[in-house]
Amino acid sequence: MTAYEKLQAGASVRQETLYHPVEGSYTTKVATKNVTVHYGDKSALNGVSIEIPACTVTSFIGPSGCGKSTFLRSINRMNDTIDNARVSGSILIDGEEVNDRNVDPVVLRARVGMVFQKPNPFPKTIYENVAYGPRIHGLAADKDQLDAIVETSLRKAGLWDEVADRLDQPGTSLSGGQQQRLVIARAIAVNPEVILMDEPCSALDPIATARIEELIDELRENYTLIIVTHSMAQAARVSQMTAFFHLGSLVEYGPTEEIFTNPRDQRTQDYITGRFG
Amino acid sequence: MQISVYVALALLVLTAIGYLVGRRQAFVAAAGRPSELHSLPSYYGYYLALWTGVPALILLALYGLTGTSLVNTLAMGELEREAAPLIRAYDTQLAQDPDLSRLNDAIAQLEADAQVARSELDKARRDGGEVAAYQRSLGDLTVELNRLQGEISQVQDRIAASIAVRAPDNLAGDRARAGFEYWRATPDRRDLFLTDARALAFGEGFASRNSSALIAAGDAMRPWDEMFRWSSAGLAMAMALGGLTWMRRQITVTFRARNRLEGVVSFALFAMSGIAILTTLGIVLSLLFESIRFFAAIDWRIHEFLFGLQWSPQIAIRADQVGQTGAFGAVPLFAGTALITLVAMCVAVPVGLFAAIYLSEYASSRFRAIAKPVLEILAGVPTVVYGFFALLTVGPFIRDAAVLLGYEDAVTQSALSAGLVMGIMIIPFVSSLSDDVINAVPQSLRDGAYAMGATKSEAVRHVVLPAALPGIVGAILLAVSRAIGETMIVVMAAGQGANLTANPLESVTTITVQIVMLITGDQEFESAKTLSAFALALVLFALTLFLNIAALRVVERFRERYE
Amino acid sequence: MSKLAPIRDAVMERLPQRHRAEQRFQAYGLTAITLAVLFLTLLVGSILTQSLAAFTAHRLTLPVTLERELVDPRGDGSEASLRRGSYNAALQAALRDQFPTVHGVGELRELFGIYSAINASRLLTDVVNNPDLVGQSVDFEFPISDDADRYLKGASVSERQIDMNASLSIEIAGNVARLEAQEAVLAPFADRLRQVMADRANRYAAAAEAALASARQTIDPDEREILEAEAQRAQMRVQQLNERLRPGADFLLGPREPSLLVRAGDTIVRLTSITSGGREATGEVLLADQAWSGSVTRWSFWEIETPAATRLITDRQMVFVRLLEERGLVRNAFNALLFTNADSREPELAGVRGALIGTILTMVITIFLAVPVGVGAAIYLEEFAPRNRLTRLIEVNINNLAAVPSIVFGLLGLAVFINAFGLPRSTPLLGGMVLALMTLPTVIISSRAALKAVPPSIREAALGVGASRTQAVFHHVLPLAMPGMLTGSIIGLAQALGETAPLLMIGMVAFVADAPNFGFTGFTDPSTVMPVQIFIWSTSAERAFEARTAAAILVLLVLMVLFNAVAIYLRRKYERRW
Repeated sequence: MTAYEKLQAGASVRQETLYHPVEGSYTTKVATKNVTVHYGDKSALNGVSIEIPACTVTSFIGPSGCGKSTFLRSINRMNDTIDNARVSGSILIDGEEVNDRNVDPVVLRARVGMVFQKPNPFPKTIYENVAYGPRIHGLAADKDQLDAIVETSLRKAGLWDEVADRLDQPGTSLSGGQQQRLVIARAIAVNPEVILMDEPCSALDPIATARIEELIDELRENYTLIIVTHSMAQAARVSQMTAFFHLGSLVEYGPTEEIFTNPRDQRTQDYITGRFG
Repeated sequence: MQISVYVALALLVLTAIGYLVGRRQAFVAAAGRPSELHSLPSYYGYYLALWTGVPALILLALYGLTGTSLVNTLAMGELEREAAPLIRAYDTQLAQDPDLSRLNDAIAQLEADAQVARSELDKARRDGGEVAAYQRSLGDLTVELNRLQGEISQVQDRIAASIAVRAPDNLAGDRARAGFEYWRATPDRRDLFLTDARALAFGEGFASRNSSALIAAGDAMRPWDEMFRWSSAGLAMAMALGGLTWMRRQITVTFRARNRLEGVVSFALFAMSGIAILTTLGIVLSLLFESIRFFAAIDWRIHEFLFGLQWSPQIAIRADQVGQTGAFGAVPLFAGTALITLVAMCVAVPVGLFAAIYLSEYASSRFRAIAKPVLEILAGVPTVVYGFFALLTVGPFIRDAAVLLGYEDAVTQSALSAGLVMGIMIIPFVSSLSDDVINAVPQSLRDGAYAMGATKSEAVRHVVLPAALPGIVGAILLAVSRAIGETMIVVMAAGQGANLTANPLESVTTITVQIVMLITGDQEFESAKTLSAFALALVLFALTLFLNIAALRVVERFRERYE
Repeated sequence: MSKLAPIRDAVMERLPQRHRAEQRFQAYGLTAITLAVLFLTLLVGSILTQSLAAFTAHRLTLPVTLERELVDPRGDGSEASLRRGSYNAALQAALRDQFPTVHGVGELRELFGIYSAINASRLLTDVVNNPDLVGQSVDFEFPISDDADRYLKGASVSERQIDMNASLSIEIAGNVARLEAQEAVLAPFADRLRQVMADRANRYAAAAEAALASARQTIDPDEREILEAEAQRAQMRVQQLNERLRPGADFLLGPREPSLLVRAGDTIVRLTSITSGGREATGEVLLADQAWSGSVTRWSFWEIETPAATRLITDRQMVFVRLLEERGLVRNAFNALLFTNADSREPELAGVRGALIGTILTMVITIFLAVPVGVGAAIYLEEFAPRNRLTRLIEVNINNLAAVPSIVFGLLGLAVFINAFGLPRSTPLLGGMVLALMTLPTVIISSRAALKAVPPSIREAALGVGASRTQAVFHHVLPLAMPGMLTGSIIGLAQALGETAPLLMIGMVAFVADAPNFGFTGFTDPSTVMPVQIFIWSTSAERAFEARTAAAILVLLVLMVLFNAVAIYLRRKYERRW
């Protein structure tokens, strides 16, 4: 079996074993216990414990500086790239400890993709941008397989029709919304299990935002998505689960509808009604 | 000189007085209500001080710069006029002398022969035939021409000596002889004559010889010197006092002293930034001017200078015969420069680039804090020290190593040792410029790569370096430009033989080495040999300017992309 | 295990390979930095080791009698008369007193060759300053010649002394000595030298063979001719050597062989031939009482392994110097002359004082021209200039000027300052002007950066309270930008301090034996500067200048470190982050 075939097989295996279409009986994908992050002497996140279900969209909301992005970045250990960041506590993906010394962040990040606030396509062609992940991880045996992966990924990201005839143009030549979808296509090209999105629409206009939100909803079918967002409307639109962070702590977590219609915590109530934020 | 110092001191005192008077006057004008004044009182003081001191000091500086040459010109012009009878007699003698006309005829004949030989040599060169014979005969002609010209100057000297004794043996005669001697002298000898005369008259340094003519010349300078000295001093004082009184009268309550002062200040600042332009202008004009004189001396054979394969300026014996033997072909110098630059880049680019990558992507901040200053020290070491290192440590080492490996002809002064050491010198240059551009690549691109599961080196190789490439190319261009213009290392370590070779173990020469050799040699300035240094420098200047502009463009584009 | 095994397998499969690539890449980076550090260590290390020899020097102290008829030819004790005295003759007499048996012209020349006559001028100065010394005897200390100094430091000659205890009779007749021992004490030396010569003969034979072989192969007739001539020369050498090595013949020693000296007390003989038995020898008397002959049992061999042809000091001079040292007249001490003297043709008298003063004077001019003008230009461009084509042109022009090779500035100085304005060559004034032009772009660029770093809010605040633009700049922005400007300027000036090439163009490479006046008139005295002095010395033929060059480099580096230390101090003290 070539890596490509494994890739295809992997995708189907997951759908069979992980997806429980029955409401309320999600399988837990990501489970954290007491996650704390320090930047130097400054504590950015204190003791967050949460269980995130598979094949759903979970959104993190909260005022600026509440630690939601920091938490997101610890899930695929992107905080490793920051010199003075220290992460403690436990983060389990499918029961495996992420912060274990034996876990290679390279492998982890192949499983947990990430999309950033500002679209950051590499200074390469559209094709090379999407092909980059499969290339470095050796997922395609030949050019045909790679072409297939690129096409599938771009299709899943809903970008194929717009760029099919100009794959050899630089990724930076696309519009902002297109760039963000390109980056999403790049992330799903390695078929990750979890996709982290850090305010994916904050740099986009409303039309592009709507397009991305649609895409997120489509992706839910195959991937576990975690989204940090500033827009409560967006959280309400795209996510099934919502977590509210405040001052580095997780205040409230539950099904989106509940959080927005019947928050249990006063701070959540204040935030979603716009008293502060 | 003494008086100028006193005048300068007096001017400084006057300037201070100007400030005080200006301030006082402002108070007087305000009639006890200083708040009525347009500007603060001290501005009036500064403004008045400016008008008191600056014009006079400028005048004094002008005198300092030009006084000596003015005095020389005027005094010697006077003496030359008095020497007119001698000069006339000398000219008639020259015209009548049978030896001279014979020699002149012979020279004309020789020059015609040389013209023929030269055109045949050119033809032979074009046809690819045997040129050695022509070159030899041309060389013989040159030598003969030289001999004849030597004879001519001997005859001229003899006639001049016979004329000079005709002048009476008194002061007037000495003055005439001085004017006559000066009139006949070449520019270099004129300078020496003036220096000696001044030394005798004013005690500036030591005179190399002593004669009645020199003393007379010095005596002739003295009155002019006195006059300029006193008149410039007097004029400066008058200007200072004039400025003081005139400007003082201008001061009223509504006088906009601050605005005027600021106008002067900003003009002065503008003039200062204009010096940069003047410097460039000076470089371009002086290089162009002297190069044109050089090209004129080699009969405008610019293509031979740029594309000729033989460089041996030493053959040139006199300006008017040079170039015609084709000894000013600069290709070996260009090739030598290119070879050494290539070796240097082979050292500096990989080491500098990898050092920059390691420091900006891998190193801990503690390691960076130590390693960066070390690299900066390499940049701060004077080039002459590198030259010494190349000459006494690296050169012998490379020679011994080459001999050990079986290359018997190895020499101490080789392109390899010069290039290697120059490479070391350029490492910090490449690394700090690359460091800048690598740091300018936005972190979001790295994050993108890491988020895809790229390792650090993959992120660097696939994303950071391609993104930084234009900037790195710019940095390398700047490094090349620096290598081409580097002088001391190659002067000390590369040798002087103009070999056209690609073998880095041989000794080669470069543009800068030849400029140093040509200028520091004891040739007179007017010879084509010396002038050729300026043509070489013009090439060097154009080359580095081009590289630099290209590099700045590339880097600029790069910055625009990520800002 | 994970349910996603297939994909992770694919990733894991390539992982070791990718990690190896990662490590390789990181190793390249570390290697690069290690190399750079290694180069620096080598550079500094080689200069340090080379310079060591220059910081000490052997000095000779002689009792010199200042005979009146020698130093005061007119006899009136006037300064003019004292200045005409022949002090070198006094020095020579003092030296002859040490070796009363040395007579011949050649031998005396060798004796007087162990110091340079210029030293007498200091004696003259001493006497002129203190005329009472005339007629008295003074202890005069002066440096011995560089060759003798290097010999005593063991840098140029390898030698050894072997004490012997065997009966040896020495017969001296004129300059020739005959030696006869009871045993074959000379045989081991002769045999070893024979071996050396035989090896040499073999090498020549091999070289001849090789030359002939390549002559047979080449087709170029000229080249063949050259090679054949080479082979012939080598064969001739072989023949000569074999002739000398003939068994049974006396073994002859020449200048290309090590010298073999026999010393008995103060009698020193250089052997010129040794009989085949190794019992008898003849030799040249280097030092002895002319009439002395006799037999000794305690004597020593003095073998000088470096052949006379490859060293600059003769056998006899070595004898003189060694004996003076044994008598306690020569001592190795700190070489203060290196710092108190100006340049000299004699390495042992050469010092950096002239260049140091020249450097200081030159830098004074550079500082006073480059810093105010550079700062002024920066203020104009950053604070006042309208954004138009002229200012853009100036900016581009300054950036390009910073990259113009320094040698071009030298040519500018030559063409404009010397040839057009007629300023005096080789002077600190001119050098300072050229270096100022060269440094100007650096000063402007760093000063602009410092001005840029001052936040606009400061200007706005000043303008907001009604200050004029000039007042805002001079009262508020400039004081804040000053430390940054100074730091940048100092770095530019440090560059100028180490610059050589442009100064060569304006004649500062001339040999200047007198230090320039350390005052106002010094600016127009011919002088040189430290980097140029280093260049001049490094191109000198005498080996002793090598160490002095390295020492001068150290002095220059110390100067540069001081300069940069000031910059770092200023940066640390006034650094402000916005």
